[in-house]
Parts: sequence; C-alpha cells; structure tokens
Amino acid sequence: MLNRREFGMLGAGLAMSGLAPRLAMAKDSGFKIMMTPKWTGFPYFELTGDGAKAAAKELGDTVIYAGADHAEVSLQVETLQNFVTQKPDAIILAAIDLNAVAPVLVDARKKGIVVATYDADAAVPARDFFCNQLSYEQAAKLMLDCALIDVPEGGEIAFIAASPTSPNHMAHIKIMTELSQSDAKYKVFKPVDTQFAADDDAKSYDVAVNLMQAHPNLKVIISSSAVSAPAAARAIEASGHVGKVYATGFALPSAIKRYLENGSQKAFGFWDPFELGYVVAYETHMKLAGKFDPSKVGATIEVPKANATFTAGKDGEVVYGKPLIFTKETVGKYNF
Amino acid sequence: MASRAKRQWPFWEIALVVAIFAAGAWSSTLSPYYLSVDQLFSSTRAFIIPGLLALGLAVVVSFGEIDISLTSTLAVGTVALSKFSAAGAPLYVAAPIVVLICGACGVFNGVLVAKWRLPSLAVTLGTMGAFRGLAFIVGSEVGYTDFNDAYSWLGSEYLFGGVVPASLVLFAIAAIAVWFLMHRTVYGRRCFSIGLNPDAAWFAGVGVIGVKIAAYALAGAFAGLAAIVWIGQYGSARGDNADGSILFVVTAVVLGGMDINGGRGTISGVALALFLLGTIRNGLGLANIGGPTQTVVLGLLLVGGVLRPAFAAALARLRRPVESADVGA
Repeated sequence: MLNRREFGMLGAGLAMSGLAPRLAMAKDSGFKIMMTPKWTGFPYFELTGDGAKAAAKELGDTVIYAGADHAEVSLQVETLQNFVTQKPDAIILAAIDLNAVAPVLVDARKKGIVVATYDADAAVPARDFFCNQLSYEQAAKLMLDCALIDVPEGGEIAFIAASPTSPNHMAHIKIMTELSQSDAKYKVFKPVDTQFAADDDAKSYDVAVNLMQAHPNLKVIISSSAVSAPAAARAIEASGHVGKVYATGFALPSAIKRYLENGSQKAFGFWDPFELGYVVAYETHMKLAGKFDPSKVGATIEVPKANATFTAGKDGEVVYGKPLIFTKETVGKYNF
Repeated sequence: MASRAKRQWPFWEIALVVAIFAAGAWSSTLSPYYLSVDQLFSSTRAFIIPGLLALGLAVVVSFGEIDISLTSTLAVGTVALSKFSAAGAPLYVAAPIVVLICGACGVFNGVLVAKWRLPSLAVTLGTMGAFRGLAFIVGSEVGYTDFNDAYSWLGSEYLFGGVVPASLVLFAIAAIAVWFLMHRTVYGRRCFSIGLNPDAAWFAGVGVIGVKIAAYALAGAFAGLAAIVWIGQYGSARGDNADGSILFVVTAVVLGGMDINGGRGTISGVALALFLLGTIRNGLGLANIGGPTQTVVLGLLLVGGVLRPAFAAALARLRRPVESADVGA
C-alpha cells in the first residue's frame, strides 16, 4: 500500500508518461457507476436501468439510477452535476440535448470519470463511447420493414418525431425518406408529412388524428418514439381507421400487444431495453477495467450474456444492433 | 401601505430562513457530499435561470396577474442569441438587443392583458405555445452550439477565486434591483395597490394599463437575461430550451409569499423561496432521490404556498375574534 504522497508522485510521473488514466483505474471490480435516462418512470428507461443493475451485480459494481421525471435538459444537467459531485467511476446517460449536457460531461471526463451514452448520444468530445441500440440505417430499415408487413403494396406514409431537435428521430426520418426514393424495396412508400409530439401520449394521439384527416390516402404512420407509435395505434382504432391506416415504428411489446392481438395492427419494431442497459453497463465496466478501449476503431468486446461481440466504430460508437419485430405471433414471447 | 401601519415582523421570511437551514441540515444527513463550499455555490447555478424568471414573474403577480409564457420567451432569447453569434456580433451588441426582443414579447402579453383586458392565464398560455413555436421556427431543426467564449462568460465563469458563479452575482444584483423597485419606489406601490383593488387604484389616478404593460415588459426582459445565462451554462440554443420548468418558477413566487391574487408579498420572500427550493432540490439530487419524488415535493410546496394566506387569515381570526370587527384596515 502506497501512502498518499508516494501515490501522488507516482501519479504525477505516470501522468507525464501518459499512462495515468489506465493505472488510476487498475482495479477491475467494485466500480461506482451512476446512470441517468432521459426521464425516469417510463418502462423503457426503467428496463435499461434494471439491465445495467443486473450487469453491475454480476461484475461486482454498483449502479445508481436516478433522474428527473420529465425530459428537461436543465434538470438532466443538474442531475449530472450532482453525479459529478459524488465522484463516481463512470456516468451512463441517455442525452436529451447532445450539446447542452456537454460542458458538465467534459468536466466529468477531466476529473477522470468515464462517460458512456446509450439510447441518445451526447456530443462526441463529451463522452467516451456511445452504445447505440441500432445504427440509424438499421433503425430506418426496421421501421420500413414493419410498414411493409402492414401494407405490402405501399402508399403514403407520415412520420411523428419528438421534436425537430431530437437527433435520432430526425436522422431516422431522413434515412427513411432517402430509402423511399432510392431503395427498390422501399420505393412503394411516399412520405407526405412529418409532425412533432414531444414524446407525449396525448399530443401524439392528436397529431395522429390530424394526420389521418389531412391525408385521406395515408397508409402508415411511423414513429421512432415508443410513446407516439402506440398512441397512433390507439388513435387509429378510436377514429375508425382500422384496416385503412396502420401505425408502426418503435414500441414496447406491452404497449402494443392489444392492437396486435385484436388485429388492428400488424407489426412494430424494437430492441431489448433490458439487454441494452446490460450491455452498456458491461462495456462501461470493461472500459474502467482497462479491457475495452472504444476509442480504437475495431476494438471488440464480447458480452457472453448478450451472446454477441460488439465492435467499436468511428467516434467511439458501439452499435448494439439487435432489432426485434413484434407481430401477432411473436409478441406474446416478450415480457416488457 | 397605510401610514399608521405597525411595523410587522416578517414572519414568512423568517420561516423560510429557518426552513432553508433545516433543509440544509437534512441534506447534509442525506449525502456526505452536500456540505462543501464549492458544491453549495455551484449548486446555486441550477436555480439562477428560473430565479431570474421568478423575479420578473413576482412583479406581474404583485397586481394579481400571471405570466406562464416566460420559459418560452427564454427560448426566443436563446435562439435569437444564436443568430447574433452566427452573424459574428459581439455580445455587448447582441445582449441588449436580445433583452429588448424578450421585453417586446412581454409587451405583447401586457397589451393583451392590460389593454384588451383578457385573462392573463389564457393569454400567456397561448403565447407560451406561440413563442415556443417561434423559437422552433427561428432556431431550425438542429439547434446551435457554436458560441464563442464571450457569450458563455456570464453563465460559466466563477468569480472570487473560482468559487462564486458569475451568474449568482448577477442574480443578487437583479434581486436587489427588483426589491428596490417593488418596495422603495412609487411604481412598486402602484403595482401592489392594483393588486389590492384595481378600481380603487384607477380612481386614485394610477395608470393601470401602463403599470401592467411595464411589468410584463420587465418580466420578458428578465427572461432575456436568463437566456444569456442559459447560453453560458448549457451552450445550446434550441427551440425546446427551458420547456417544462415553469412549475418551479411559479412555485418559487408563490412559496415566497406573493399572494397569487395580488396585493401582497415581498421580493425578499421570493429570493428566499428560491434558495429553499434550490436547497431541497440539491439535497434530494445528491441523495439520488428520483424525479417523481422531487416533483411531488415541488407540487406540495406550491399548494402550501397558495394555502398560506388562507391559513394566516384563519389563524388571525382565531387569535382575535373580537378585534376582527374593525373595518377599513
């Protein structure tokens, strides 16, 4: 055991030789990891928290999961500030605004805290890596594939995003629009409208009703929001458009099971949020233990529980990439 | 107001101070990280932006009106700042113009409320949506983050040996200025007199419309100031800036002892309420107590603040059942 002064000198020496970050984290268990979602209380994010806690339990770490109950970036920054004060080994977050969280995260990284994002990324210099559930292209194709199950002959489609500033939603819509123009498989679709519903259930319902009124030939309403897609399904049923218009996009199976089973809807896409949370916590642990360096393109990490090996891409993006499609036949298998 | 009014103990302010210390003591038992000078000072940054909005709102509430569009006005301010930054304008040019733009948003509210006599809750609910939409349109889809260092100084700099946030100093100056305006000038008296009885104030020669429009303009201008702090603190101008934080602002004003029906209240109470709310949030946050609990606490404090005048009146009646007959106090 080194005393403080020796340790300090050792630290200074190592800092000069550029090895400090690795040796300062030379332990390989018992890390304190703090995690905040976009907002708490939503089953999707709670499941990612449960997954992270499960990984922590196996690896001997502790995960503390906390955050505000609505998606407001100044509250998220406050949460992150409180995290930094508590000197954790790592912070995991789903960013509400990729830039607004950057100053506090950059500060955290300066203090030697590893920062990982999942679900929605922060600015690249503000975090060590981004565990992306699906690449934007994968997500866009998954949603269009679901739309093809709904309406194989195609037709008019409309999008509901959270807001014009939500990076992943807007990227998905851009790629889906491009695919509908360039990819033979998806050329049957014609995007006609994009509306915003702030991940809000009531607003999504109203927006869906408005879309159906504004576009009489509308065939599919697509949303990357797990709040908006089920709300659109409800609106279709309530407004008597069953069989004429379909809703699809990302949704928790529990939220759309009813519509798949009663036949008013045919397919929704998602991924396993529990496993996503598990994987990001696992990767964070391995980064802390010095066994995974996501800053190196091509670095790999094997996650036995997820039965997969993930590879770091450009800018520290590690794609989880295991899409799921729920249909009437398969939805019963999932319990989230 | 009356000259024969006895000097009264500021019971509510004293209660707030006691509550702040109690909350601080409680917080220090919740989290070992709570009690440190750096932590305490930097935690104040979390409520300076809603605090500036609350100071402006307090002036509006003093005559019994409300403005819930202030968080949207702030977003108009941040995206306007982003346009100036993108055009390469220095901050000393951009800041006054942004404050004026936000002040103009306030004037718009004020004209609708004072001149056209529309209910302020309905008006500002409408402009809350309208200003937010405007911010989204002007701010475009991606938002803007490329601010130069001068723009971020106010919101990110620490003074006095790197301990006291510059924005806290700004807040202190603003709070003292508003306190002076409301409690030491004729304008402040007029505001409270309108709140007590608008007709009486009008008959006494108070330009009710002008006073109200000026207050809304001031509240808007403070939202502009808050926008400048926002840019420094978060470095991100987007249409959704500060969306959803109006509950905190209204809670601070009401908990601070401003009567929501107008006519009564103090700015020192509002400032103390901000510190109390900030202390509670800081303590709960450091103890990693989740958002739903915090929102419940915030909501309960708001209800408590609204009920306070009724409680005080009931208590007073209980205490002196005979004297309560004196009319015209």
